[in-house]
Amino acid sequence: MKRKDNNPTFESYNRDPKLYDEIFDEHENVRETYKTLFELYSEHSAQDFGRLNNKAKASFFNQGITFQVYGDHEIKEKIFPFDLFPRIIDSEEWEHIEKGVLQRSKALNAFLHDLYHDKNIIKEGIVPLDLISSSENYLDQMNGFDPPGGIYNHISGTDLIKHSDGKYYVLEDNIRCPSGVSYVICNRTALKRALFGVFNHYQAHTVTDYAQNLLEILETVKPKGVDVPNCVVITPGIYNSAYYEHSYLAKAMGVELVEGRDLFVENDFVYMKTINGPEKVDVIYRRIDDQFLDPLEFKPDSAIGVPGLMAAYKQGNVCLVNAPGTGVADDKAIYTYMPEIIKYYLDEEPILNNVSTYHCSRPDELKYVLDNVHNLVIKPVDEAGGYGISIGNRLTQEEIEEVKATIIASPRKYIAQPIMSLSVHPTYIEDKECFEPRHVDLRTFTLLGENKEFVLKGGLTRVALQKGNLIVNSSQGGGSKDTWVLKNNQ
Amino acid sequence: MNLDYTIRYTAKNTYQNETNGALWQFLIIPENNESQELISDDFSNSLNTPVENSVNGYDFRTYRIRPKQSFEEIEFTADFKIIKKVENIFEKVSQEFSEREFEDLKSLEFKAGNDVFLRNTDLTTLHQEVDFKFDKTLSLFENLQNLNSWIKEEFTFKTNVTDIDTDLNHILEIKQGVCQDFTHLFIAIAKQFGIPSRYVSGYLHQGNGYFGDSQMHAWVECCLPDSGWIGFDPTNNLIAAENHIKVAHGKDYTDCPPLKGVVYSSGKNETEYTVQVSSQKQQQQ
Repeated sequence: MKRKDNNPTFESYNRDPKLYDEIFDEHENVRETYKTLFELYSEHSAQDFGRLNNKAKASFFNQGITFQVYGDHEIKEKIFPFDLFPRIIDSEEWEHIEKGVLQRSKALNAFLHDLYHDKNIIKEGIVPLDLISSSENYLDQMNGFDPPGGIYNHISGTDLIKHSDGKYYVLEDNIRCPSGVSYVICNRTALKRALFGVFNHYQAHTVTDYAQNLLEILETVKPKGVDVPNCVVITPGIYNSAYYEHSYLAKAMGVELVEGRDLFVENDFVYMKTINGPEKVDVIYRRIDDQFLDPLEFKPDSAIGVPGLMAAYKQGNVCLVNAPGTGVADDKAIYTYMPEIIKYYLDEEPILNNVSTYHCSRPDELKYVLDNVHNLVIKPVDEAGGYGISIGNRLTQEEIEEVKATIIASPRKYIAQPIMSLSVHPTYIEDKECFEPRHVDLRTFTLLGENKEFVLKGGLTRVALQKGNLIVNSSQGGGSKDTWVLKNNQ
Repeated sequence: MNLDYTIRYTAKNTYQNETNGALWQFLIIPENNESQELISDDFSNSLNTPVENSVNGYDFRTYRIRPKQSFEEIEFTADFKIIKKVENIFEKVSQEFSEREFEDLKSLEFKAGNDVFLRNTDLTTLHQEVDFKFDKTLSLFENLQNLNSWIKEEFTFKTNVTDIDTDLNHILEIKQGVCQDFTHLFIAIAKQFGIPSRYVSGYLHQGNGYFGDSQMHAWVECCLPDSGWIGFDPTNNLIAAENHIKVAHGKDYTDCPPLKGVVYSSGKNETEYTVQVSSQKQQQQ
């Protein structure tokens, strides 16, 4: 089956031979996994898709799924753009991803334990000491402390892309408070509502079991001596960009959603204020950044944290998920050592590829970067959400000079990578009423508990909605797709 | 020989407007270590709020109180009894010059093991050259003794010219300050040379005319490859010994202020505190 066969909405779809297209191969044939879907979509006209698109959008409005974008002094509330064309990953490909992200999460957990104990990987010269000592995310308070169950990164969000060589590469590990999982679930709901007749033809793994698994993970890291732990989700509040997700997860797990002011610490135990009096809290899924957790220990003016929380944690009376201080290991400069980190702790070869990286802190690599800015992506090591990224081949000569000056001013703050060509996927373009190729990535969600692990079979496929744009973060105007992981027997 | 000390810490907080709840954490309890033993501790407050025992982020003991009623004034009193060992620090310390000890400072094992106390913090970063230079023909210990006396000679103890946020540039400029300023300066210079250094908060035994005896005192501990952690008091040009009663340490002052609090109140507030340290020589048994 060819791309243009009987499919009016794909007539103007221009496949770029330099990019990996998720559904059309190099001969314009529809890939095996997408055949049924493509056939079913051929039956619909452009108007049908317009109508379906509105239906899906309405589903998001009705579920109240919005997010906020931080920009130049103003905050905007937006609806997360959702796309009608799902991404499909077959079971074999998924198995590879699943093993790979689990391997990374475990290696990062072992790395964190080492960084906060003997620091062997540093003493042996495998990871440079100054990467750790210059990291603002290293928390001395965690030194020598053993978190319940030995787990630091209970929840990891791994960002992957498929390059033009058809292979997956990891772009980033997120092990502070990775967000986005609620969109995965809402995308599924919206897609099923809009296109049940299509979904029905495939056997895709469910994604709604995430909350149940998260709760089980939280329960495995309960403090010693607690029988049935009382778990809560703590949020910075309704103005946080991911508030929808915090409330969704609390509701789906059947636990309380709290703010800092709802909790207090007494004799190193944490309690929640309720109308029936104080109720002890054992496990806190915290969606508050480290520096705001406890005004007695971190930022003294934090009004969203709980005074005394760190002491309660360090006395072993409450578990914080993820552990404070995980940010030292998901820094973009640490990322470049991931292959070594995996080999060191697990004695395994990395399953997923890393993008090769140049450290501007190393003089010879800095020179290469400065000479080749136009061919590289320059990233600040400590910014999340796609802020501060420069893509070399999109810059004017003047901008390149500016970027160079910024790097020279603080080389430690920047790394550079070759420009990876993210794969493209047909995406419904509202104002043109047709499908066009757009760049996509994939964020997976991995859970680690004591003797329990789980990878969500699915993920957040983020779409760069502007043509040619490579940055897919929702804060940079990206959208998302439902992501189907197929069961074995298809 | 041992010394018996009794320490009284009193503090008074006054608020312009009635407060509506508060939480204070006191980091004032002498620690138990090789050279000092805490015999008793007692803490009370004028509102009779129950006292909680907790720890700070670096596992030093703290008192915490959370009055639930509203108030305009609260007083705190703490009493400690400790026994301090009198020992000759110079016997513990390697004073011989050794090139190897300088080399050891650079070993990855040593640097990684003491990484926390080699990091720069806002209060312990030098932005300009100082006149003090390490002499590579002397032992590390002698160099630090020289640094101690250099600070004492070059700087004048004066209160109310600096505050807790004063950076080292300003101190180098005015050449005045109090114990925490001199401590930060010592730490910055020693760290720049690669010697792990930490801020110590504690009590100084009064009566010998030393500076810093009616308030909590601050001094430095440096980690030397051959001798371990040694205390230096640049305010008085002393090696920290039987007159220095340690409470806690951290990277700089912000890790060990004696009092931290979260107070729900508007308007101005004032905190005053005093410290009394008295000693009695104990006969050797």
